[in-house]
Amino acid sequence: MKYKFLEDLTSDVMFEAYGRSLEELLENSALAMFSVVCDIKKVRALKSIKIEISSPDEQSLLHTWLSELLTQSEINCMFLSKFKVKRIETIDGLHLFGTASGEDMSPKLGETVVKGVTYYGFKLEKTDSGYKAQVALDI
Amino acid sequence: MKEKLKKLSDYKWLIPKDARSGMRVDAIFYANKSILDTVEDTAIQQLTNVACLPGIIEPVLGMPDMHWGYGLPMGAIGAFDKEKGVISCGCTGFDINCGIHMLRTNLLADEVKSKLNDLISTLFHTIPCGVGARGKLRLSNKELSKVFTNGVRWAVENGYGIPEDLERIEENGCIKGADPSKISNHAMNRGAPQLGTLGAGNHFLEIQAVDEIYEQEIAKVFGINQKGQITIMIHCGSRGLGHQVATDYLKIHSSAARKYGIRLPDPQLVCAPTTSNEGQDYFSAMKGAANYAFCNRQIIAHWVRESFAQVFKKSWESMEMNTIYDVCHNICKLEEHTINGKKREVYVHRKGATRAFPPGHIDVPIVYRKVGQPVLIAGSMGTASYILIGTDKAMVESFGSSCHGAGRAMSRHAAIKRFRGETVKRELESRGKTVRSTHPKILAEEAPGAYKDVDAVVESVHKAGISKKVARVIPLGIAKG
Repeated sequence: MKYKFLEDLTSDVMFEAYGRSLEELLENSALAMFSVVCDIKKVRALKSIKIEISSPDEQSLLHTWLSELLTQSEINCMFLSKFKVKRIETIDGLHLFGTASGEDMSPKLGETVVKGVTYYGFKLEKTDSGYKAQVALDI
Repeated sequence: MKEKLKKLSDYKWLIPKDARSGMRVDAIFYANKSILDTVEDTAIQQLTNVACLPGIIEPVLGMPDMHWGYGLPMGAIGAFDKEKGVISCGCTGFDINCGIHMLRTNLLADEVKSKLNDLISTLFHTIPCGVGARGKLRLSNKELSKVFTNGVRWAVENGYGIPEDLERIEENGCIKGADPSKISNHAMNRGAPQLGTLGAGNHFLEIQAVDEIYEQEIAKVFGINQKGQITIMIHCGSRGLGHQVATDYLKIHSSAARKYGIRLPDPQLVCAPTTSNEGQDYFSAMKGAANYAFCNRQIIAHWVRESFAQVFKKSWESMEMNTIYDVCHNICKLEEHTINGKKREVYVHRKGATRAFPPGHIDVPIVYRKVGQPVLIAGSMGTASYILIGTDKAMVESFGSSCHGAGRAMSRHAAIKRFRGETVKRELESRGKTVRSTHPKILAEEAPGAYKDVDAVVESVHKAGISKKVARVIPLGIAKG
């Protein structure tokens, strides 16, 4: 399983995402978030955006990654449906190099505006099988 | 936590500061008994979290529309000392200056009913709405900076309104002191294509009819003269620009809280001391986002006027489509309040709450100063909305604040499981309402059954005396993003 949505928050949504590696966890978390924004099954990977971010630790890297994807999606007026973390360098913190792909926004593919990634209940932990994260979105 | 509440009156409940460890001040929740019985315990808990922050001024306040939010619940107010307190982007929320702009007309329901389909179609065509809808304006960064610093004045100067509109908007449509240099390039780029867009979720545009007038003389000052009169309500905020300002400062305030040794009872309550650069930078950026939101609603309001003119084939001026008022629902303001008998400036965070200043207050626009500030309350889709007025009691008890809407009673996911968009639409149409949305799912998410009873919410603030009912309006046509 890549992700699942958790017990409801009254006004918003919370999900859990999984990955065998940190890279996979980041990709699956992005999928979970964009499944709220748009119909990811129908959004085609026609164009790509380069994502390069830095953070001091794994937990803040996840938060920055998701926030950056939301920002780039709106700046480029694109719905995103495919995510690739190519590598994470670990010199003086973590530096992520990746891509996000999708197509131009159109109302028929849209679902809900995600306003932001919150710190509420925000967790990233190592498990026996890899990584698990919990994320709450303000919608 | 609810078991620790003490009844002060039928509409006012105390959460004493000994309810849990760490609370520096009491909290107060305004609600009737039935609302109190259904409010989430976690929302009450969140009020007590805010009561733990440094420099908090008594009391932290919950309004009857309160529900669980991030950090500060939605429908709550937290005021902080100007020197020893904090400014919190977590307490203001992601949608900075989400609010309501309301227009009145001289049209009557009977004149409009036969044209509702046309009107809603024209509005839907003219005003970009829903996730994925692109704005029609393309502003350079230089022009966008003018929007941050000048607010609605920018809109009026560029043909999206008239000078009289400025007299009928909170802060005259521009909070002074916005600093575009404190707004990131990311936020500028995100905000640039979205000016003049409604957004999605609970944002809406409604054509309404006056259903009840409680205070005839005050209503007349607002241009509300009779039952059946048509009004228009626009509910939206600062869009991606505000979301990005909040996201940027969430990180900055998270570091600041660590740097200044502020113990956070909830990680979303990130904040910075009022006198710190981190606190003041956010305050300056937030003002810019708030001014963008005022401007966004003004532009949409102007397109509403033009849409009506197109459908009715006469000028909007001849239909007297004048602004009643425009209010912020998510904001932080430096305001003067009387605390323990002394006048002091305090930082008031209102999240899902409305300013409700009384007659005579210097911050109430001159045109309304004799009667007090209009308090615009949005109901849930298909139910009533209200115009209230601020009171002296609100200044004494609630930092001049009141409720903002119905308040969710059910999560969006639960609503989607419970309701079907097509059924909600049919049910609303069977009651004579015209409904249009980008997506049927949004109608399920926003089904009236997913919200509290707005009449009970308004009755609670009215009976508690922190605002007074002036008029009730009901929706005829609804456009959802």
